[in-house]
Amino acid sequence: MGERYVRRRLPFPLHEVRLLEASDRELGSISQDMGLALSVDEMKRVREYFRGHKRDPTDVELQSLGQAWSEHCCYKSSKVFLKEFIFPVQTPDVIDRGDAGVMAFDEGHAYALRIESHNHPSAVVPYGGAATGIGGIIRDVLAMGAQPIALVDPLHFGPLDVPYVRLAPGLKHPKYLFGGVVAGIRDYGNRLGIPTVAGCVVFDEGYLGNIVVNVGCVGFGDRAQLQRNRVREAGDVFVLCGGRTGRDGIHGVTFASVDLTEEAVGEWEAGAVQLGDPIMKEPLIHAVIESAKAGLLHGLKDLGGGGLSCVVGELALNGGFGAEVDLEAVPLKEAGLEPWEIWVSESQERMMLVVPPENIERVLGIFELYDVPASPIGRVIREKLCRVRYRGETVVEMDLEFYTVGPEYRRPVQELPVPTKAADLPRMPRDLRATFLELLRSPNIASKESVIRQYDHEVRASTVVRPLQGVIGKAAHGDAAVVKPLVDSWRALAIATASTGAYTALDPYRGGATAVEETCRNLVAVGARPHAISNCLNFGNPERPDRLWFLREAVRGIGEAAAALGVAIPSGNVSLYNESAAGPVLPTPAILGVGIVEDLRRCVTSDLKRAGDPLYLVGTTRVDLGGSEYYRALGIDGGAPPSVDLRAARDSMEGLLRAMRNGTVAACHDLSHGGLAIAAAEMALGGDVGARLRLAKSDLRFDIALFSESNGRWLVEVRQGRDAEFLEGMAGVSVAKVGTVGGQEVALVRGGEAVRAALPAIRRAWTEAIPKLAVVS
Amino acid sequence: MDGGDSEIGGGLLKVSDIRVGVLFIEGTNCEDESVAYFRVLGARAEKVHLKQLTGDVPREMRRRLEDYDILMIPGGFAAGDYVRAGTIFAARIKWKLQDGIVEFVEAGKPIFGVCNGFQVLVEMGLLPALGGTLLETPEAVLAINDSSHYECRPSLLKQENRGVCAFVSKIPRGRVLKVISAHAEGKILFPRDREKKILKELIRNDQIVFRYVDDRGRYAGYPWCPSGATYNIAALCNRDGNVFGIQPHPERCFFRYLHPDWTREDGGDGLGDGALVFQSVLDYVSRKF
Repeated sequence: MGERYVRRRLPFPLHEVRLLEASDRELGSISQDMGLALSVDEMKRVREYFRGHKRDPTDVELQSLGQAWSEHCCYKSSKVFLKEFIFPVQTPDVIDRGDAGVMAFDEGHAYALRIESHNHPSAVVPYGGAATGIGGIIRDVLAMGAQPIALVDPLHFGPLDVPYVRLAPGLKHPKYLFGGVVAGIRDYGNRLGIPTVAGCVVFDEGYLGNIVVNVGCVGFGDRAQLQRNRVREAGDVFVLCGGRTGRDGIHGVTFASVDLTEEAVGEWEAGAVQLGDPIMKEPLIHAVIESAKAGLLHGLKDLGGGGLSCVVGELALNGGFGAEVDLEAVPLKEAGLEPWEIWVSESQERMMLVVPPENIERVLGIFELYDVPASPIGRVIREKLCRVRYRGETVVEMDLEFYTVGPEYRRPVQELPVPTKAADLPRMPRDLRATFLELLRSPNIASKESVIRQYDHEVRASTVVRPLQGVIGKAAHGDAAVVKPLVDSWRALAIATASTGAYTALDPYRGGATAVEETCRNLVAVGARPHAISNCLNFGNPERPDRLWFLREAVRGIGEAAAALGVAIPSGNVSLYNESAAGPVLPTPAILGVGIVEDLRRCVTSDLKRAGDPLYLVGTTRVDLGGSEYYRALGIDGGAPPSVDLRAARDSMEGLLRAMRNGTVAACHDLSHGGLAIAAAEMALGGDVGARLRLAKSDLRFDIALFSESNGRWLVEVRQGRDAEFLEGMAGVSVAKVGTVGGQEVALVRGGEAVRAALPAIRRAWTEAIPKLAVVS
Repeated sequence: MDGGDSEIGGGLLKVSDIRVGVLFIEGTNCEDESVAYFRVLGARAEKVHLKQLTGDVPREMRRRLEDYDILMIPGGFAAGDYVRAGTIFAARIKWKLQDGIVEFVEAGKPIFGVCNGFQVLVEMGLLPALGGTLLETPEAVLAINDSSHYECRPSLLKQENRGVCAFVSKIPRGRVLKVISAHAEGKILFPRDREKKILKELIRNDQIVFRYVDDRGRYAGYPWCPSGATYNIAALCNRDGNVFGIQPHPERCFFRYLHPDWTREDGGDGLGDGALVFQSVLDYVSRKF
């Protein structure tokens, strides 16, 4: 280090950074040298603060600010939009909004939910990055005092069959990334014993440069065991528990807040990716929950991005106090870490407990039984500042407000035109049956069984409705999973996800709104009332006005749809700077939705049940082909993506829930990718029985009637002889009888036009596609 | 959801007096539901950390093996299973508890291993235990599935025991149960040069309890047998029938609403196929002690 960095005369490395006299240009290079990812304006603000205090900062202090003010930690570019469109979307059932959102379940219980991204680390180290993604989201839910009970993971990769020559330098092949991510989730999640019950795998050219790996978690608990992410009173003790702190995961958040250039990839590989240890996490969960249930804690928060430097400040500030920490008390993986490294390391499997002094002994006793390290490392003080000592030397002393709150920007956005009408219709395919089978083989539609069955979706013995539904050995995709958190209650939670990159790239408002509507549609399909969502926003560089516009519009769509459908948004996550040599990521909002099932015995699955039952189509089919799988198969770009009629969607959802309560519905499946034809096929596959659909004459071309992806639609099997009751429940909703269950083929007929395929041909096309593509050769 | 079943516990010991210890260490991850479901049937179940049995905890938390009538080793990835599945947990049990375990088994008390628990029992030499109660060298291994990865899927298990096994006393021979497989290492293998002989002996001793079948009751290959296990073996017992290891999870089909296809059946009310295993062992203990 040059003259800018002056080492104090101490037996360990600690540097003062000559900031007070630094020129603006020098500020930029200091930020660069130290890997702070702070802009010159932000560095000026830091200089201002220290000029006020008439001293230069230490390296530990500057590193702290780099963490706290990162996009990842303080949402400086997105918060303005979240405040406008997302934060107001609340319902009376919202209990808390912290590391995860907390919602009322019944009088005595609550559930927690959150979804977040782990894109950058997974792009570099797919196995480890995805594993620690699971680890992180579990800690967010645990931080609310809730027992994690289910995981979800929407995953997005480039096409598996892309030729190597198409990959920009430094990019990894989708096959490698896909295999690594799935294995990482499998090996970490299965070991923890939290079932992975929902998600999706999407393939698109727009993910070649930046994969999108989102992970969501749902937790559950007695209301009495819930915790706040804040300290309660002066004198409370900070107890750091779980894994030891090491050099892994240094600068994760700052690298997640810049584009994924070749240089950044190198930095990640050099140690920004953390190392997961599920066998530390598993007993850590038990010990934390036991401490929470025993009422021994005053607060709780997980160590994620920014490590100690973020958790201490946020806990203290949220509670209106300050904090003092003795860094040498932090248990380390290896000797020789510099103070700043200990302070910002993102080593995994760590939680921070806030414990009143009188409970310390009991808490440490619980952790002792589970063989989980727990160490008091600091205390809550009245002065609103953060003071950190290392071997007696003060290495950080900053006002908490300045340190933790971070900047907030209203960066410029540049509106782009959105397609208002369908692209020119292609010519009618000559062989619609071939098109139908081709769509079944499309990686975004084809069976994900080879992925789903590698995840334990059954552990905790409370998964009532599985991700694959139907006849044993023949099950096909369902819309949502249902878990039963209490042994002695029929009330249950339905869990579903949706992501809409292809739509969002064409029209971000519609893409955002559709993601919410589709999530809710999925929940309703199993008989659940949509209750809360959590959103993960995966977008490009917010300093580019066009990219930021996609974010703003998607957020607007999400907020408006959630409000209209009556669901709360108590938590979320924003992942920006998903940019690489290949350009920005396909802008992708991913939604985790939770619905309440009043009585799980009324749950409905997607598999057809009985020959002779009538089939009804709920909702209206329009020319909605932009971003559709049909257009993808035909190689057509552009066109308007599906519009969202929120009022109609809400009415249909209410109607379907009434019909399901009455027990008139035998099977139900949401229409999404591939439209009506694909929904019918999946229902037939799961039930191992055919279906004959006779569509009424309409202005729509036959191929559009089959493959259009209009929102707000479900295909419903009604129990034979109960049509009148069903229709009574559906009063005021667009619904039409379209066919009957039976036979051994799926037949879609309209007048003289028809598509027919036998079940074995459908099954072959649908099941073989992904395993074939995923083979590493 | 009421577990009261008048058919079990007809013996001298009331079900509500039967004490079940569900053993765990770090990475064991099915202990909570196993305790909960034993309790649904009325038994006095608790989870117990290995350290509580070995005395490595404060006095008031200590337990003894004789405090329990049934010992369960539940599923999970004990200690991470980074060595062969079950090996580490087995070594840690044997290190301090070997004599107590042998005494427990020889007293006729049941030991119930599910999934990772089955792997532990085999690694401990408690199963199949052809030559004694507990053998120093394991006679079998649960190897990695033929697919070479984790498999989570419904399985159909045919009850094949002729009467020795305490864990199927309420399940007629030939009955097919729905359960859930969820493991990466479930393929039981015997030393190749002695495989035929061992199988014969297992059959003669009535130690084979469940075998994987397909939807028509045939001994089928993948995916019906998710691992490629020898002779489609899904569950074994020792010669006396009181040590039982099962690879798939009966607790995951404990209630009807947990059956993988319950929405195709009459509904979600009542106990499911998996409960029969729990009921059988409780009934056995109730009558024996």
